[in-house]
Amino acid sequence: MEIKDVLNEKMMVFDLKAKDKNGVLEELVSVLKENEVVDDEEGFLEVVKKREEEFSTGIGYGVAIPHGKSSLVKKPAIVFGKSRQGIDYNSMDGKPAHLFFLIAVPDNSDELHLKVLAELSRSLMHKEVREELEKALTPEEVINAFNK
Amino acid sequence: MKKVVAVTACPTGIAHTYMAAENLQMAAKEMGVDIKVETQGSIGAENQLTEEDIKAADAVIIAAATKVDRSRFAGKPVLEVPVEEAIKDAKGLIEKALKMEKPKDYVEKVEEIHKERSAQRTGAYKHLMTGVSYMIPFVVAGGILIALSFFWGYKAFEVEGTLPWALMKIGGGSAFALMVPILSGYIAFSIADRPGLVPGMVGGMLAVSTGAGFLGGIISGFLAGYTVAYLKKSIKLPKTLEGLMPILILPVLSTLIVGLLMIYVIGSPMKAIMTSLTAWLKGMSSTNAVIFGAILGLMMAFDMGGPVNKTAYTFATGLLASNVFAPMAAVMAAGMTPPLGLALATVLFKNRFTKEEIEAGKAAWVLGASFITEGAIPFAAADPFRVIPSIMVGSAVTGALSMLFHLELRAPHGGIFVIPIAVSNPLLYIGVIAVGTVVTALMIAVLKKKVE
Repeated sequence: MEIKDVLNEKMMVFDLKAKDKNGVLEELVSVLKENEVVDDEEGFLEVVKKREEEFSTGIGYGVAIPHGKSSLVKKPAIVFGKSRQGIDYNSMDGKPAHLFFLIAVPDNSDELHLKVLAELSRSLMHKEVREELEKALTPEEVINAFNK
Repeated sequence: MKKVVAVTACPTGIAHTYMAAENLQMAAKEMGVDIKVETQGSIGAENQLTEEDIKAADAVIIAAATKVDRSRFAGKPVLEVPVEEAIKDAKGLIEKALKMEKPKDYVEKVEEIHKERSAQRTGAYKHLMTGVSYMIPFVVAGGILIALSFFWGYKAFEVEGTLPWALMKIGGGSAFALMVPILSGYIAFSIADRPGLVPGMVGGMLAVSTGAGFLGGIISGFLAGYTVAYLKKSIKLPKTLEGLMPILILPVLSTLIVGLLMIYVIGSPMKAIMTSLTAWLKGMSSTNAVIFGAILGLMMAFDMGGPVNKTAYTFATGLLASNVFAPMAAVMAAGMTPPLGLALATVLFKNRFTKEEIEAGKAAWVLGASFITEGAIPFAAADPFRVIPSIMVGSAVTGALSMLFHLELRAPHGGIFVIPIAVSNPLLYIGVIAVGTVVTALMIAVLKKKVE
């Protein structure tokens, strides 16, 4: 399994409408609901927000990776989102976030998926990957960014 | 190439763990540092650090939002930070970790305590300890040479011209004869610098010749030191004659004063005290011997090299000059059992100690065997109200037994290394130390709580 296998073109939002952190989270979680990854939208939103309370998943470099591990999640999934205007996400470097990866993992998720997610997290630390993602306008370009 | 090992972990173990790991690896590569990062994520521990990895590492970085077990990194510099730090500034972390100093190991800690204590000494206690520290080597040299002469039999030295006779002349006739003068001289030296030496040493010799013994020598040392200090302050000479102060006026005047006081005032009463003390010590009943030995033992263990310990030690060492050797034996044995007992306890009752302490236990064997009571301090500092009573009981038992069996020791230091030559009954002595060691360890087992 590779990163492209966990990225679903139906779960990519290239123009996030939300203006603040909570709005982004709601918008991203609603994509999960539409794609039947979760039924209980509110419930999972709580899980993600609770995780944010521990410390912000805005890792800096304009990237945020909100995530939640919960029995509400039916299958592992990632929602990719881009915000042109940038969102104040309490990021570690204080800068607004433009790129979002919402990671949803079931409680009993298999190792294979987790490994891919770990791989994706690692990739985001590389500048080249982030630059490609910022340029990307289509699902193909997002997937290709991880193949560099 | 420098090598760093790291552990990353975060609450959900999905993203940050791996991002931190990746960042550390990228930064290390850039800096030319060899790194291995163990990730403790939701998949479990990956890329696990082996014992060899940790051994080879110059530093350890723990970047975690959860609790990571540090025990396997004992003895390494460990930099522990929240996981975000490694995402924010991995390079800075590696730099910082490599600059960290190795945590002090046990032996270094003991040395440091030793130094600190010497530096902290002030006033009369400091002066006395200076005198004692200059005296000890004389007693060691003399005591061991005397003990060697007994190799040919207790009376062998009486035949003039033989080797045992020569050894006795060197050790007993000369080295031991200098003991009290050196003690007294360097007490005065500590108080008044160089001009103190002359009246101090002369006063010390008078203490010996008048029979005032080491107690008289301690008094003459302080007397000489303070006399010189007083004279220096109160005698005002014209500038042209100032050069005469250190070479003529101070030595003559101070020696005269101290000498006369020793002969006419201090000598006789101190002699009376020393004589009765010596007689009491030599003719002690078994009960008294046991009590006296136990008290010496308690004192030796109470502060492990501190003032109380040194009081018992100085007392026993000074008595060597009066040919009283039993308290010395009790004091050394009781000073050896605290580190030895703790070392034994770390072997027998591992669950009472941290991993670092168990490691330190190995060195404690050596320190104990060398009669370095301070070896017990790191253990005592960690858990004083359980460790100190334990070692006091063990030392009291040892001191009491040593006195009960009339064991004698002619050298004031050296631990296990002088036992075969300077102890009257080496096997029994080792047995006495062994009993105290076991008692200490058992006390630890009873009093000390299990470590989680």
